[in-house]
Amino acid sequence: MSREIVEEEAPSLTRVVLPENRSLGALRSVRWRVSLGILPPSPSVDDLRRETADSRRRYAGLRRRLLVDPHVPKDGGSNSPDLVMDNPLSQNPDSTWGRFFRNAELEKMVDKDLSRLYPEHGSYFQALGCQGMLRRILLLWCLRHPECGYRQGMHEVLAPLLYVLHVDVERLSEVRKIHKDHFIDKFDGLSFEENDVAYNFDFKKFLDSMEDEVGSQGNSKKVRSLDELDPEIQTIKLLTDAYGVEGELGVVLSEKFMEHDAYCMFEALMSGARGSVAMADFFAPFPAAESYSGLPPVIEASTALYHLLSIVDSSLHSHLVELGVEPQYFSLRWLRVLFGREFSLNDLLVVWDEILTADNSKLDKVSGNEEISGFKILDSHRGALIVAMAVSMILYVRSSLLATENATTCLQRLLNFPENINLKKLIAKAKSLQVLALDSKISSSLSTFDVAYSRSKSAVSGRNLSSGPISPNTPLSVVADSYWEEKWRVLHKAEEPRQVDSLDKLAPSGKRRWSEKVRLVLSRTESDPSPARAGKYKKGHRSSVRRSLLEDLSQQLGLEEDSEAGDCFDASNIEDRHSVEGQVEGQDDTSIVSICTAEERRDSGSGASVSEESSSIFSDPASSGSITNDHENDTEKSSVASNLSSDGNDDRHQSDLEDSPLPVSSPPEDSLLSYSEENESSGKMVSASKESRHLSGKFQWLLKFGWNNVSREASDKGVSNETAKSANRDSKSNTADSSTASRPTSQRDVVDQNVMGSLKNLGQSMLEHIQVIESVFQQDRVQVGTLDNLSKNNIVGKGQVTAMTALKELRKISNLLSET
Amino acid sequence: MVLVLALGDLHIPHRAADLPPKFKSMLVPGKIQHIICTGNLCIKEVQDYLKTLCPDLHITRGEYDEETRYPETKTLTIGQFKLGLCHGHQVIPWGDLDSLAMLQRQLDVDILVTGHTHQFTAYKHEGGVVINPGSATGAYSSITYDVNPSFVLMDIDGLRVVVYVYELIDGEVKVDKIDFKKTTTTTHSAH
Repeated sequence: MSREIVEEEAPSLTRVVLPENRSLGALRSVRWRVSLGILPPSPSVDDLRRETADSRRRYAGLRRRLLVDPHVPKDGGSNSPDLVMDNPLSQNPDSTWGRFFRNAELEKMVDKDLSRLYPEHGSYFQALGCQGMLRRILLLWCLRHPECGYRQGMHEVLAPLLYVLHVDVERLSEVRKIHKDHFIDKFDGLSFEENDVAYNFDFKKFLDSMEDEVGSQGNSKKVRSLDELDPEIQTIKLLTDAYGVEGELGVVLSEKFMEHDAYCMFEALMSGARGSVAMADFFAPFPAAESYSGLPPVIEASTALYHLLSIVDSSLHSHLVELGVEPQYFSLRWLRVLFGREFSLNDLLVVWDEILTADNSKLDKVSGNEEISGFKILDSHRGALIVAMAVSMILYVRSSLLATENATTCLQRLLNFPENINLKKLIAKAKSLQVLALDSKISSSLSTFDVAYSRSKSAVSGRNLSSGPISPNTPLSVVADSYWEEKWRVLHKAEEPRQVDSLDKLAPSGKRRWSEKVRLVLSRTESDPSPARAGKYKKGHRSSVRRSLLEDLSQQLGLEEDSEAGDCFDASNIEDRHSVEGQVEGQDDTSIVSICTAEERRDSGSGASVSEESSSIFSDPASSGSITNDHENDTEKSSVASNLSSDGNDDRHQSDLEDSPLPVSSPPEDSLLSYSEENESSGKMVSASKESRHLSGKFQWLLKFGWNNVSREASDKGVSNETAKSANRDSKSNTADSSTASRPTSQRDVVDQNVMGSLKNLGQSMLEHIQVIESVFQQDRVQVGTLDNLSKNNIVGKGQVTAMTALKELRKISNLLSET
Repeated sequence: MVLVLALGDLHIPHRAADLPPKFKSMLVPGKIQHIICTGNLCIKEVQDYLKTLCPDLHITRGEYDEETRYPETKTLTIGQFKLGLCHGHQVIPWGDLDSLAMLQRQLDVDILVTGHTHQFTAYKHEGGVVINPGSATGAYSSITYDVNPSFVLMDIDGLRVVVYVYELIDGEVKVDKIDFKKTTTTTHSAH
């Protein structure tokens, strides 16, 4: 029997051809090796074997070279090693010992990962032999590529490759068992003498041999010749013939050379085999040399992912972006291990089948535009398929992603991909998306990519800024940004003409140009910030919002509001202030004007020290004089105002100058004085009520900083409650506004660059003021009962209530402020 | 591939201030698995310093050691080798090979490490090795002032030990190597 088979095989040995290529189907490792480019795609077994042998030789050489045994002297010990250099303690980096220690370090790192590899398939992966192989392969690869080093996750790329080889070898041994005739040369059984019945008849032996023959004939009856074999078995047979080309080394499915094959596959996968997608890139923290976007490749790939998602399913994309789920949170793991951690091992093999079959060669850019643009990962079919696969995975869990409003749950869903999945569907979807990805890549220019990336970034960062330490569930902060955008868009039309005027009046200076720029930006651009301006946007936004809100207020109060009013707080030029102050003081406006000027002037002072000063003055309960009250209020107000402005300036000046205009302002402060005289009897109550008044005044200042809802309510409350004073206050505020309006534009200088800092200061000082006021109120409450004037009590009581509520609001605001 | 550092007779702070800087630069933590010290450190700070190089530290008592609780002799097994440690001032005549061999037989060790003479010596004797790492700081001894700083590093690998000797001669570190293979026969191998 075997003889016949041998005869039949003999002619085929000369030109061995695989029956059909598709019979490689079951032999994953061979298929993968072909797709990875290690083995040639030619159907000739000889070529396959030759390539296999070559690759294995390469690995063996590498291994011999790099795995250092310091005991074995270099060059066969022909020259005596220089002991000073080559001793174990040598610091010399070239010494063999140095290399040995460095390898030991690397090995330690690799071992850390290997010990945790695939514990659920531990019987294979945690076996010593397998671990040793994995370790060596990883070590050698990292030594070969010192620029990459070893990164966590590389072992998970390698493990399925080794597994696939192992599976094939097992298959081989199975097949061997079944068809052992074809695989094992049993020459001992061949003996003419025994079979010749006539020669030596020994019944026993005959019977035995008959049995053997019958038994083996039974088996071999099914398969008489190689050609009758299942094509797959044929392939296996041909591939594993120990006598083929290159002998043992060429046996394509060989247990002995599993390590070599795995290394070659790993190397090919990591380096991309001159294709477009190289896994090693995903582990690199720095942008690749020819990176178009200047981002690390994995980030770039993640962005590509999101880009494709936005094309396919924009609602899901925007939902994820809104929640702040950046693609790299989950895609880092997906891409680096090629979904190794998302699927079970067998599913993963199917997925990798698809991915590896996809061609990895760089696609020619059909577009005539020779400029570099687009995502690098989409430069090949394989890359596109990987991205498409990721997107289809996201789409698979679409419903659960859309259902949650919490970024954490989103990530949880994405990072713990569901267990029982319809893999076929997933892959089919991925394939359809791949086509789309390849198309869209051409249309996506880098600028849009850049904008998209930065837009998502700034949106996220904006969101982070607003929601920062506040829990993400606070609706206020989440709403805030979009709300202000709305407001801004609605109001900026009214602002624009005014802005243009005001802009012209701006004196040129470096800082002013800055504010100019900001305002121009704000007036012209949408709420979408240009990427570079994300930070500026935030600040500018606030000032514009301020302006808009001020406008709102003025509209409410029936005044034409100059948008400059909002900017006066941002001014930081002392000199202008002084001059303006002089001018303003020359005006014969009401006291309020001077108050306003005093306030405005103090604007330019920076926060903390002045506020402390004033609050210390303020907290002095012994003040009885109305003037002092006024002074206090003034200083309080002014300190608030000053806190509102930039900190670029010296506030010492201001506190000095404070006194000078006061005498000027105090004579005209008839109304206030009379006010205070009115409420003399209530003593502190007056101050309290005045405080509340001034608080409402403060609210107006606050309005200019954009907390429309809160403060307006408070101010409205204050307005409605204090009827007697409302008119006065209104006029005050009106005049305040008008005075600010009428102020020369030189006043309105430059938006200071530290607006955020000033806001923070504002928050802090406001808190201080609140505390002071509250403490005063506490004292006042005690004194309520002692008052004779009941009517005033009522008013004052009401005023107190409103003031208290207002204080609470103020507190909230200041908290918000200080937290930004 | 076990690296064992053998040194001793530092006499810090009485006779020497510190290890020579060239030696110190070579002794970095992480490379050495064991340290055996013949004695005469003399103070605790030296012990602490040696402990930073390697947590597995063995010391025997020298006559000038201020720590009184070190043992007189110590034996330990590293790999296939049995090592013995003793300061050596107990063995009279100091540095005499036969007497040391007596101690070796007494302790039943393959490698005996002693000091006290402040001179490096290494003998292959009766199937074992007797090593004197000398003084690591080059401190003068009761016998002589002319002392070169030296210490010994043993690389134990299976049945083979490679002894590297580091000596500071004229300001330069000189390294020498001695190979020794243990015969797998009984401990009482007669040559």
